[in-house]
Amino acid sequence: MRHALTANRLSDGEVVFWSGADWVGAFAEARLYDSEAEARAAEAKARGEVTRVIDPYLIEVAAMAGRDAPVSFRERIRALGPSNRPDHGKQAQGGEAVRALALAEGAARSSGRTALIRRK
Amino acid sequence: MYRQDDIDAAFLADRTAEFRGQVMRRLAGELTEEQFKPLRLINGLYLQLHAYMLRIAIPYGTLNPTQLRTLARIARDYDRGYGHFTTRTNLQLHWIRLADAPDILDELAQVGLHAIQTSGNVVRNITADPYAGASADEIDDSRVWAEAIRQWSTLHPEFSYLPRKFKIAVTASPADRAATRIYDIGLRLYRDAEGELAFEVGVGGGLGRTPHLGATIRQRLPVRHLMSYLQAILRVYNLHGRRDNLHKARIKILVAQLGIEAFAREVDAEWEASDKAADLPLDELARIRAGFLPQGLTPLPAVSRRLEAAKADSRALARFARRNLAPHKVPGHAIVHISLKAIGATPGDCSAEQMETVASLAERYSQSEVRVAYDQNLILPHVRLDDVPEVFAGLEAAGLATPNIGLVSDIIACPGLDYCALANARAIPIAQEIARRFSDPVEAEAVGELKIKISGCINACGHHHVGHIGILGVDKKGEEFYQLTLGGSGGAPGEGEAAIGQILGPALPFARVAPAVGDLVAAYLAARQDGESFIDTVRRAGLAPFKAAVYADAHPL
Ligand code: SF4
Repeated sequence: MRHALTANRLSDGEVVFWSGADWVGAFAEARLYDSEAEARAAEAKARGEVTRVIDPYLIEVAAMAGRDAPVSFRERIRALGPSNRPDHGKQAQGGEAVRALALAEGAARSSGRTALIRRK
Repeated sequence: MYRQDDIDAAFLADRTAEFRGQVMRRLAGELTEEQFKPLRLINGLYLQLHAYMLRIAIPYGTLNPTQLRTLARIARDYDRGYGHFTTRTNLQLHWIRLADAPDILDELAQVGLHAIQTSGNVVRNITADPYAGASADEIDDSRVWAEAIRQWSTLHPEFSYLPRKFKIAVTASPADRAATRIYDIGLRLYRDAEGELAFEVGVGGGLGRTPHLGATIRQRLPVRHLMSYLQAILRVYNLHGRRDNLHKARIKILVAQLGIEAFAREVDAEWEASDKAADLPLDELARIRAGFLPQGLTPLPAVSRRLEAAKADSRALARFARRNLAPHKVPGHAIVHISLKAIGATPGDCSAEQMETVASLAERYSQSEVRVAYDQNLILPHVRLDDVPEVFAGLEAAGLATPNIGLVSDIIACPGLDYCALANARAIPIAQEIARRFSDPVEAEAVGELKIKISGCINACGHHHVGHIGILGVDKKGEEFYQLTLGGSGGAPGEGEAAIGQILGPALPFARVAPAVGDLVAAYLAARQDGESFIDTVRRAGLAPFKAAVYADAHPL
C-alpha cells in the first residue's frame, strides 16, 4: 500500500499534503511513498514543523478508477471539501484531478482513522 | 433580554486579550500544538476537517437583532458568508483562520456574545424553552433561571475541570420543548399545591454511546435552593465521576452505576450539609428577572381578519400559517417558526443575508427578539397575527418560508463527515436527499408529524436516539453505513413520553438510506389508524411492519 503525508495548515486549518519539497493544497501534487519507512521518516520530520502544520499523519493511497486516490472516504472528503458545498474546499477549483477524486470509490478498507483517533 | 454589565464586558475584553497573546505565541512557535490546543478549545476554537471552527454560545437560544447582525457580519467578513446553528442552539462558523479568531471574539464581545464554555469538561451553554416568554402554558420565563445558572456556572472555579462536559436544560412549562430528559440535568419548573414555584430535578440523561433518559432525583425543589442543589449534584459528580475512561465519564454512567436512589442520597447528604451560601440572593434574582420582563403586548382579537383574508388569497401563506405558527399567550399574536430546512439545503445553515433579514423582521415585527431552537430552526416569538403576511413575504424573499416545521423534511442533522473530525459518515447529504424525496408540501403534510434526526457518529449531536426515525452514521471498513432506529422521542408536545429509539436492523449503505425512509413512511401510511402520527403508529404496531418494509427484499449486506 502506498502512502501520502497530510496535515492541516496551522494558519487556517487548510488540508495540505507533502509534495516532497513543500506543503501543497492539492492531493494530485502529493508525493506518494512506495516505501513505508520513507513515509514514516517524512512524517517524523513533519512533526518538527510546528509553525506550519498540525498533526501530520500518513494516509493510504490506492489506484481507483485508474487514478491514485486516498483509500478512506474520510480522506477523500478532506482532499475535496464538504460534499454539501461543492463551491467550498479544494473541489471548488474543479479540474480533471478533482473530478477523478470525486469518482474514486470502492477500495476503502482500513481508513487509517484509528490512528488519528488515538492521537486526538 | 439580559444585558451584560460592565464587569461582564471587562471580563470578556481581558479574556480576548489573553487569547490574542496565546494565538500570537502559537503562530510564532513559542507554544506547541499540544500546549495550545486546550487554550483554543476553551475559547471555542476547534480544528475540523477543512479548517478551524468557532463555536459561539447563544445563551438559551436568545438573540437580539444587533447580535444577529453582528453574527452575519462576522460570517461575511471572516468566514464564507454563512453560519451553522446546532442542536445546542450555538452557532458554528466552519472556515475560520487562526489569526482572525481573537478579532472575532472582540467583535462578539461588543454585543455580549462569546465562545466561552462551548468546549471542554465544563457546564456548557444552558438551553431553555424556545417559546419562553411567549407561550400560554408557561409558569415562568425559563430564561430567567437559565441566565442565573449561566452566571453561576461560567468560570466556576470548582467546576472548571469536571470529569466530562455537562449540559443543563430548563423548561418552565408542562410541555417539554427543551428535551430536558436527554440532559445531564433537566429542570422542570412547576407551581406546587401551595402555589410556590418549584423544580422537578432530573439527572443522568444523555445520548452518545450509552443513551439514557434522565431520572427524577428530587420531585420538589423550592426555587430559592436551585444553585445550592446544582452545586451538590456537581460536587457528587466531580468527586465520583470516572476520569479514567472517556466513555464512562458522563454523569449518566455514574447515575446508572450507583442507581438513582443511591445517587439521590449522596446529593441530598451533600446538599443538607452545605450552608446554602451558593443560593441566589433575591435581589440578584430580581436583577436577572428584570432582563426578561414581559413584552407588554396589547391583546388583539384572537382571529385576525387581515391574516384570514390574506390566507384566502394565498395557499402558500395559508400553508405557512398552518405549519409554522404556534399560539401566543397574548391573543392576536403568534410564535413564528423560521425553517432552516429549505428543501435540499443544509439543515441549520443560515447565510449572512438571511440572518440580516431575520434581524430586520425581528426588529420590526417581533419585539426585537429572535430564538434559536434545538431543532436547528429560528423563531420570531412575538408577532402580531395582523403582521404575519408581511413576515411571511419577508421570509419568502429570503428563502426562509419553507412550511415544514415538524414534518418529514424538517430534519436535524449534525455536520457529520462533511466537516467534523470525529465523524464516521456524512449526515447532511442524507438529510438533503430525504427532504428532496418529500419536497411536495401536500404529501409532506399528509404524512404529518415525523421527526428524523441524523448523527454522523455515536456522539449523537444530531440526537438520532430520540428521532422518530433516527439515523446513525457508522464506519464499515472506511465506507459510510447507516444504522436506523425507530420510535425515539424527545418528549416534546405531540410525541408522547421521551424514549430512546430501537435499532431496526442491519446498517444500510448510503444510497439505500433515503429509499428506506421512503419505505418506512409507506409502511406507516399503510398501517396508521385514525389520527395516528408516525410515532403513535410505531408505538402501537411495533417494529415488525417497518422492518418488513425496509428489509423485505434485502440481499445480504
Ligand atoms: S455526532 Fe459525531 S459527526 Fe456529528 S457533529 Fe457530533 S461528533 Fe461530529
